[in-house]
This record gives sequence, C-alpha cells and structure tokens, in this order.
Amino acid sequence: MTQLDLLVVGGGPAGISAAVTAARAGLRVLLADERPTLGGQIFKQPGPGFTVTDPGAMDRHFRFGASVVNSVTGTGVEVALRTAVVAVEGKQVVLVPDGQAARTVTAERMVLAPGAHDRPVVFPGWTLPGVITAGGLQTLAKTQRVLPGRRMLFAGSGPVALAFPAQLAKYGATVVAALEAGPPPGPVDIARLAGAAWGNVDLLRDAALYRATLLRHRVPLRYRRMVVRAEGDGRMERVVHAQVDADWRVVPGTEEVVTVDILGLGYGFVPSLELMRLVGCSFDHDENLGGHVVRRDEWQRTTVDGVYGAGDGAGVEGSYVAIDEGRIAGLAAALDAGRITHGSALKLAAPARRRLARRRALTAATKRLYRVGHGIYDMSTPDTVVCRCENVRSRDIADAVETTADINVVKAFTRAGMGPCQGRNCQRHIAAMIAARHGIADVPLATARMPVRPVPISAMADHTIEGPGLFLASESTP
Amino acid sequence: MTSTDVVVVGGGIAGTAMAYYLARSGIEVMLVERGELNREASGTNAGSFHLQLAIHQLSGQGTGTDRERLLAEARLSLLAYAGWQSLGDELGGDLEVHQTGGWMVAETETELRILYEKQVLEERAGIETEVVTGDDLRERAPYLAPHLTGATYCPWEGHANPLVVAPLYARRAAEKGAVIRTHTDVLGIDVHGSSGARRFTVHTSAGPIDAHRIVDCAGAWAGQLASMVGLRFPVRSEGLHVNVTEPRPRMFHPMIQHIGRRLTLKQTDNNTFIIGGGWPTPTSAGRYPTSWHSAAGNTAVAVSVVPGLADVRVVRTWSGVIVFTGDFSPIVGESVAVPGFHACVSSTGFTFSPMFAEQLAEQMANPQAVSPFPERYSLDRLEST
Repeated sequence: MTQLDLLVVGGGPAGISAAVTAARAGLRVLLADERPTLGGQIFKQPGPGFTVTDPGAMDRHFRFGASVVNSVTGTGVEVALRTAVVAVEGKQVVLVPDGQAARTVTAERMVLAPGAHDRPVVFPGWTLPGVITAGGLQTLAKTQRVLPGRRMLFAGSGPVALAFPAQLAKYGATVVAALEAGPPPGPVDIARLAGAAWGNVDLLRDAALYRATLLRHRVPLRYRRMVVRAEGDGRMERVVHAQVDADWRVVPGTEEVVTVDILGLGYGFVPSLELMRLVGCSFDHDENLGGHVVRRDEWQRTTVDGVYGAGDGAGVEGSYVAIDEGRIAGLAAALDAGRITHGSALKLAAPARRRLARRRALTAATKRLYRVGHGIYDMSTPDTVVCRCENVRSRDIADAVETTADINVVKAFTRAGMGPCQGRNCQRHIAAMIAARHGIADVPLATARMPVRPVPISAMADHTIEGPGLFLASESTP
Repeated sequence: MTSTDVVVVGGGIAGTAMAYYLARSGIEVMLVERGELNREASGTNAGSFHLQLAIHQLSGQGTGTDRERLLAEARLSLLAYAGWQSLGDELGGDLEVHQTGGWMVAETETELRILYEKQVLEERAGIETEVVTGDDLRERAPYLAPHLTGATYCPWEGHANPLVVAPLYARRAAEKGAVIRTHTDVLGIDVHGSSGARRFTVHTSAGPIDAHRIVDCAGAWAGQLASMVGLRFPVRSEGLHVNVTEPRPRMFHPMIQHIGRRLTLKQTDNNTFIIGGGWPTPTSAGRYPTSWHSAAGNTAVAVSVVPGLADVRVVRTWSGVIVFTGDFSPIVGESVAVPGFHACVSSTGFTFSPMFAEQLAEQMANPQAVSPFPERYSLDRLEST
C-alpha cells in the first residue's frame, strides 16, 4: 500500500500551492483531482483534445492560471488526475481512478482543498433545461469553447455576477441583461473599497475590466433584481425577474418578463463539504462564505488531527486567498511532520499571511454589496421541486419539516437527498426550511457517509475480501 | 406529575405498533422515544420478508431442537407475513408491500446440497419453494451468474418500505389518543410495591411519568431498559452495512439471497438496488459509521451473483443496528418477576413486530385471558435457567 506523508485532495489553486509547498519541505505528496487537468474550476485548462497554440491570445487570468498549474512540475509531487477520493477511515484513504479499481493509500496527513460548487438556488422552473449555473457555463466555455444558447439572461450576486456575463459576452453570446441581487455601489462603498485597495489592485482592476466589458457589449447591469421564476414548455423560454429588498425578498408589483433561451445563475459558491464532514471536522456558519465553513486555526488545521482545510472548500474567498491558504496548510503539514522548525514555518508563512489580511480587508469592504440575503431560500412555491434527483416537491418536504427538525428524518420521510447528487443540490435548502420552521440558527446537515462520490460496483468490489461468515444461532450471549 | 396507564419505551416499529393497538383498545398509552421515531433498526433494515429457512443459521449439524425451532419460526413468519397483507388497509396507507418472490442462490455443490435439505424442511413447514438448476435456472433468471450451481425460489417472499410503516403507526396511534413523546430518554425506573395504584415511576429526560404498566420496545437497547427493573434480557446487537445504488432500468423483481455468503439484494420500487446481507460496521461511540471494507466485500458478492451490476454506481451507504435475541426466540409478554413490566422484542423484528404487538395489546386489554405466548418467549428465562 502506498505510504504518503501528505495527501492533497483538490488540484485547484489551494491544493496546488499546498502540495508544492509541502513537497519543497521534503514531504512525499500525492495530489489528487477528479478532473483530467489541474487548475480547479478557476484555472480550468482546455479539455483533452484542445491545445492552446498561442498563449498570448488568452487572457492574463489564463496565463496566471497556467503558471500556477506549471508550478507543480519538478517538485516531486505525484499527481493523480481523474481520481476521486471517496472514503477516509483514519489514515486509510480510498481513491477511485476513473475506469479503474479503487485503491487505498495511507496518508499521515491530508490537506482538503476540494473547492466549491455553485450555490444551488431553488425557484419555480430551476430544473428546466436552459437554466444553467455559472460554473456549468464556464466549464463549457473554458474546456469545450461551447455556448449552450444564444440569448442569455444572467442573474447572480457578487463579483461573479460581473465576471461571467463579461466573459460570455466575449465568447459571442447575446447577454440581454445581468441582474445583480445586491445594491449598486454607493459613495460609502467606493470609499471603503479605496481604503482596502492597497495590495488588491489586481482584483479591483479585474472588477473594473468586467464592468467595462459589459458596457462595451451593451449589457445592462441591473442592481437589486433577482430571478423569480423560469417558464417554458419542456425547456426554458421566459424568465420573470423582479426587484428585491436588502434581504433579497421580492418587492411585489416589480416583475418583468424577458424572453431568453439560457438563464445563467451565479449566486455565489458553497464549499464542497463532503470529505470534511466525513472525517468529522467541526464547522462554523457564515452565509457570506458559503454557509458551513470548516473551523481551523491559524495554520489551517481543522479540528481533526492531521487534517487541514484550504481554499474555497474552507470558505469561499476566491483563488488568491486559496493560494495563500494552501501555502500555509503545506507549511503546517511540514511543521507538524517535523520537517521544518516552527521559526522557519512562521517566517515562510508571513508573506502569505500579510496578503490574506489585505484580501480580507477588501472582502469586509464589499460585504454590504455582496451579502447573501435570506430571500434566496424563500423563492420556491409548494409545487417547486426541491430535490431534483428524487423529484421531491417543496410541499412534501414542508409536511415532513412540520414533524421534525432532523434533516435525516426529513430525508427518510421524503427521499429528498437520496439520489446521485447525494444532497448537494437540496440539502442546504431543506436545512433553511427547517431553520425557518423551528427557529434554529444552524441546522446540522444529514449524516455524512462514504462514498462521497458515486462509485461503480466494478471499481468498489474487492473479491479478495473474506466474508465475515454467517450469523449463527449460538448459545445465549446477552 | 404526568401519569398514564401504559408507558411504551421505544419509537420503532414495535413501540409505535404497541401504541397503536393499545390506543385502539381504548387503553391510555404514552410512547417515549429518546431520539426521533423509526431511526434505528426499524427504519434502517431493508424491509424484506424472507420466508426461506435460514438453515445456514443452524449451529453445528442442526440438532433436532434447532430444526424444530426453525420450523416453528417458519410457520410464525408465514402468519406474520399474512398479517402484513392487510396492514395497509388497517392503517389507511400504502406500506409498499410487494410479493416479488425470492431466490436463495448456491455457488458450490455443497451449498446446493444444503438447498435441497432446506427445501424438504420448507415443505414440512408449508412454505412453497423449489430448487432450480441448470438451463432451467438460466432461463428463469438470466440475470444470475452462469457459475451458480442452483437456487431455491419462493414465490411468496417480498418486501415493504421500512421508512413508512412506523411513522404511520405513530400517526394513527396519536389519532386514537396515544401520546407520543420524542427526544425523551428513559433514565431510570422505580418499581413501587403492589399496594399503590401506580406500580412504576419512569424517570425521563423530560420529567417523571407514573404508570401502571411498561412495555419495553427498545430493540437493541431493550436489555438496558430491562436492567432498570432488575431483569436480564438475552439481547445483543450488531451494526450492519447497506449499500444503495443509482436507479437503473428494471433488471429483476425477486429478492436474492445467498445460502453461503452474506448477501441480500433487491431492486426497489425506485429502481435502485439495495445490497446488504449483514456486513459489519465498526462501532464507535454509539453510532455506526459505514466502512469501505464492508462495501467492497458486499458488492463483490453481489456482482459475482449478478454480473450485470458491474457498471451500476453505489451512491450511498447506510448502517443500521440489527437485534438478536441470543437464542433467536422473541421476548414477548409480561414478566413474572416484575408484574406490569412487558416486552415486545424479537430478532427479525420488522416482520414480527406488528403481529406480536397486536397480540400483546390484546393480552394487556384482557389481562385475565390465557397468555398466547409460549414459555420460550418468557421475559424471565435467563433468571429461571
């Protein structure tokens, strides 16, 4: 069995920097990612079969991403692509390479940098074909150079609400409007931003560029508006959107209808929690960082010995924060393994810590603009499908929630969360329904179980395992 | 202080059924459950009604008493299963009871020989089974692996949905006046002398309850409860592991078990496959995490019996607790040593609990009547041996 000093789960910016940092300190590191290329969602590289012939033609962002990905080369980090991490039991970790049998490795330590996925938002019509998340659109555009439709409406909040429509306009889509749920920046915000600008020039320049791109493509950017419902016969044809208040609750009488074939949604991201929950990490709650945020100390150590969390998977703060958190996690793994001294770890972590402090000052400055309003959980009607895998409607979940505050019980009553997505799409919404009905601030999610990804039986089955024998009716053994 | 005639302890299928049948008889009853209803064995078993004799459970060569016990149990399962056929009407809901038929497969010649022996016993018990081999088997069950030496088919076997039964019992019980208290943990029981009107004080996390009678329906924890009144129950429990796949087009209807290896397999109404059969889970502090080892071993048995499962994906696993009475006999009735203390506990409790609960409730409604339960069900059997 492979013996590792460190297993890094997730090949995005956080995972790459953790792996590289730890390998430089002399640790034997395996970096595993489900995708065919490194880079994560943010620095997603063109898919297999695509070659970038002229890097100069790609944007600055792409080039930076490529440099991050290339930093792995020559460091001794072993990379396992198309490989899902599906189970963890103590130091034993089960990896499933795509199309192959599962294998188990022993890892003394683990950096979990699983990233984030689009925040699922439940509203009437959200399951219609043509409604697609920002991440999905981005994947199609970045890896396949494909746009799924022609006339698009983009709805979301946060920096992404600017970035995606701008990118898509560049790819040739007709974006009829971009709806931002938050307020337009006011003088106070501009002053705050200016105060936080030191050290964040890149980010602010990006934001300015996105705005300029939108203007250039004549994409109207409308603040304080959200999608109310998507309509159509078999696929999306129309979107109804409306004005919302500061809490993202719809203001009656402000609805407008727009005819589009694609609705792109970017209401931010939520951390991929499965592995952290499986190993038993403790969490705090901050809706603006994506809800459940793994608790960690100044070295990115979680509450589970030998497990570190970094990047968007440990609170959605973007790729720059991810890189620095990854670096600190890599240093911490080396420190805890006794490969570097506390003094040198501190010294090496210092620049990353300074940058993190600056990024977080910017986050604080934009908080008023990009705060997640609770109305995000109030858009479904009784008829709206909440669990799309098992086709469970809001009214049935509401009935179950009347009798219990335990999400496991709701799941058992309704089957919501039992399907192939393993609850990623519906669980937060159901937790919010429970929270609202029972007045609980932070509703625990359903019991975490392996496998954290669906695993084909051919990959899971191990014919060398001896059965435990049959039950025997033996003497009484009370 | 709260007081009631009967306190039922445990919110699984046995407890909710007791509450229902007692309330139906007009008896004042309060059910206490330390967590939520139906969260342990009652809700986490696979809901199967296996009628084929568990001959492989016979210890040693299968002594005469063993065989007699097995036959008695087989006849009883038939009765219990018959009760299930009308239970949905009684409770006014769909329990998803399906008679799908079931296979028990053999992979070796030795296992096939046991199937033939088993079939003879089943005939004596009045259970309709047949041993099918060779081309006949390939034709009737083309989804089974070609290397199987044979299989017994029982057309009567089937399953119900364990997620709906106990909650429905609880709802109907409440409609008939039963009081259901979840998140109420029993901490201790005082037994008072026979002089007072009340015999028991049940101390719970939500305060004390005075009661004439108690019914222990605590399943795996029935022994702990019984020890609060000084009784010893021969109950043990194990955590066990179940795998569930994504839905796939219908591959087969019957349930599939193995005579020599741990496997139960069925394709549900939702078209998912449920793969279990008693693979263990590690125990840690009262909860049962599922394990990769059991998943890998259990699915290996499944795919070797049904090769078509190879590309089907497992999407989740769950674990439950399975309850055994040490001698496989149920613990049902009223204690002689502690009059007023009753129990309704059994192995294969999902199948048997509705029947036993109904019988025990009738007995409690007419305490003068002769007990319908044989001596081997006695609550006091560990004391008397």
